[in-house]
Amino acid sequence: MSVPFLAMQEILKIFPPAVVALDRVSVEFRPGEIHAVVGENGAGKSTLMKVLYGLEAANSGQIQLRGQAVQFHSPGQAIAAGIGMVHQEILLVQEYRVWENIVLGLEPAGWFGRLDERQALRSVQQKIDEFHFNLDPLARVGEISVAARQKVEILKLLYRNVAVLILDEPTAVLTPQEIPQLFAELRRLRAGGKTILFISHHLEEVLELSDRITVLRKGRQVATLETSATNQAELSRLMIGRELARPPRPAAAPPGQPVLEVEGLSYRDGAGRLRLQDLSLQVRAGEIVGVAGVEGNGQFELVNVLMGLNPPESGRLLVQGHDLTRAEILERRRRIAFVSQDRGRLGAAVRATITENALMTHHRLNPRFTRWRGWRLEARAALQFARRIETQFGVSMASPEQPFQSLSGGNQQKVILGRELLLETPFLLLDQPTRGLDVGSMEYVHELILTLRAEQRAILLISADLEELFRLSDRIVVLHRGRLVADLPAVSASLEQVGALMLEGKEHPDGPQAD
Amino acid sequence: MNIFKGLINGMIAGATPILLAALGGTYTYYAGIFNIAMEGMMLAGAFGAVLGSYFFHSWLAGLLCAILGSTLLALIFILFAVVLKTDEFITGIALNLFAVGATTYLLRQIFAVKGAFSSPEILPIPRLHLAGLEKVPVLGEILSGQNLLVYLMLAALLLSVYVIFKTRFGLRLRAAGYNAPSLDSSGVRTAVIRVWALLICGVLCGLAGAYLSLGYVTLFSENMSAGRGWISLAAVILVNGNPWGIALISLLFGFTDGLGLWLQQSLPSQFTAMVPYLATLAALYFYSMRRKRLAR
Repeated sequence: MSVPFLAMQEILKIFPPAVVALDRVSVEFRPGEIHAVVGENGAGKSTLMKVLYGLEAANSGQIQLRGQAVQFHSPGQAIAAGIGMVHQEILLVQEYRVWENIVLGLEPAGWFGRLDERQALRSVQQKIDEFHFNLDPLARVGEISVAARQKVEILKLLYRNVAVLILDEPTAVLTPQEIPQLFAELRRLRAGGKTILFISHHLEEVLELSDRITVLRKGRQVATLETSATNQAELSRLMIGRELARPPRPAAAPPGQPVLEVEGLSYRDGAGRLRLQDLSLQVRAGEIVGVAGVEGNGQFELVNVLMGLNPPESGRLLVQGHDLTRAEILERRRRIAFVSQDRGRLGAAVRATITENALMTHHRLNPRFTRWRGWRLEARAALQFARRIETQFGVSMASPEQPFQSLSGGNQQKVILGRELLLETPFLLLDQPTRGLDVGSMEYVHELILTLRAEQRAILLISADLEELFRLSDRIVVLHRGRLVADLPAVSASLEQVGALMLEGKEHPDGPQAD
Repeated sequence: MNIFKGLINGMIAGATPILLAALGGTYTYYAGIFNIAMEGMMLAGAFGAVLGSYFFHSWLAGLLCAILGSTLLALIFILFAVVLKTDEFITGIALNLFAVGATTYLLRQIFAVKGAFSSPEILPIPRLHLAGLEKVPVLGEILSGQNLLVYLMLAALLLSVYVIFKTRFGLRLRAAGYNAPSLDSSGVRTAVIRVWALLICGVLCGLAGAYLSLGYVTLFSENMSAGRGWISLAAVILVNGNPWGIALISLLFGFTDGLGLWLQQSLPSQFTAMVPYLATLAALYFYSMRRKRLAR
């Protein structure tokens, strides 16, 4: 093939003042291939795709489509040229039906601009049939699963007849059971001649799905490889520049006194539904208890009740013997460190500076940071504190006075972890602490959690990642429909056992019955 | 029978300006604009109507000038809230205050009067006598002989239901309000849709204003919209932009408006003038209670 189908040449992208996001990256994409773009968070994967899609303008470099130089100033132009992108956050009108979302912007219309519903439905159904998408065009988008919404996004692009589909971490929003279906659909698209560019940092997925892989590291293109000729170890070495450390788990010291004691906790939501039912749980000093469960089975409510965001209907909550069931949030924060799964909403104020975010809670609990009875901040102490988190937790930042949102996901999480750990509480509530982090940052967080256990802290770890739970936890408890259906020692539990408990609330008949 | 007819006609007269403005507000509501400038647009329309009718000796010119006046305010709204992306609420407040100030100032400058301007030179918008409908028993006198704008209001209501829910423009309009980034990513510029919504709102508020100064009465008085733009906003929000619901609320308001006039026989007019607004508050209260119950 002399003329490449789609080529990005010497793409240079600098974010002012001097962050080189893409350093003269050149990639060629072949027609009908699944091409994965991998790299750690901040490596430039998304930026590269945004340049291709016309969402970001490159400082220099060229994009060639079928030998013609093209430059897109908006996603609309990219789509017209046959390049479409499915974003991480799904952009659909929830109030609309599936077909309305798909045709929006390119609707068949008749007299007086009347929407030709029959024609629209026919075209949508045709696309659904062509690629065997299992989807009801008349369903309301607000009422279908996230996986189905992702299909709608893909169909929306297929309806516009794109030849190239860019998917930005499509599996991040899916449950493990939904991923194989997406992969099957993507393979069918490839068979139909579409080119698929797939951003991910899950190496297993990339190896399973893709034909070729481009690795980016810190804005540089490290390699473009045939998937068949590489493996996980090589890829992770290319991605992070070192081999992944996977040390065997340090043996746990026998756990100490109970720190967190939850007794008979029940919670009913605003609509009167029982979300947590008679939940009892203990976490002892030097112990990590993992909470497994399919999303929506009470994890969110458990976190809110523990943190005092929602009052329980009944039950008690004790930390080191102090009754916190009805305590003020500030009172809880003296004893509970909390890492929220939602960094932007509960974990941090993203528009405030790094220093301000680092200091939150500390400025109320530690008189060192304020003067005049708490009315005035001690700016120098605050800055020193942010610097301490920077060095102690290896945050890479330009200045502590930058807005928090200028940090990459991994660095944001390090600042939050730093803030929470320096509260020096006996109990830590970690809600999906590695969600959305790249391999290197994830590794770091895991090691930190194990260090904390060695310091005799009590840790409750909520995670959707079973591997993570098995790697870190001493005990695994399973939430199913608001009830704790199992409490298992991690060493003897099996993945299948926990999976069955998560899905069905009980083990298979041949296994021992858990309550 | 005459009381009945009087109440019905009073209801229609009270409802017409509210419904016209509220239909305008429906477009901006669906487009995702927090538009509170209906009050000002209506007032500018009322002034424009008198100005046009007086100087051109034509009610049609009055109608066109009404639309021109309120659309001018809509254009200012577009410039600030859509193009320059200022806060919609602040922009709306500023426009409402500007409309009061500007019309009062122009009233004094052009007509050299304070308070109100009326003149036999101002031609009102005619009533329409429909030969066929006049013969309908009982209702004939209500169905026929209404002001031209009453019939235009009905047409606007039906057309709006069609445009908002059945056309391509309607699909995009509602998408702009439900999820603007989604519409933008579908290749339709939300800003353009919002400009259209505001222009339509301007036209409808112009008609509402023209009804106030050339239909209801034949004069312009300072601040004569008297909160009707706010009532129309309340109507839109109350029923989440459902045009039929808005029509119902407008009729309810018109009814209490007429009732207020009727009550003037026994109560001071300052109290009776409160009736429509008290009714609006009561409606808001019952509506929110019902919504609370439904959420349970």
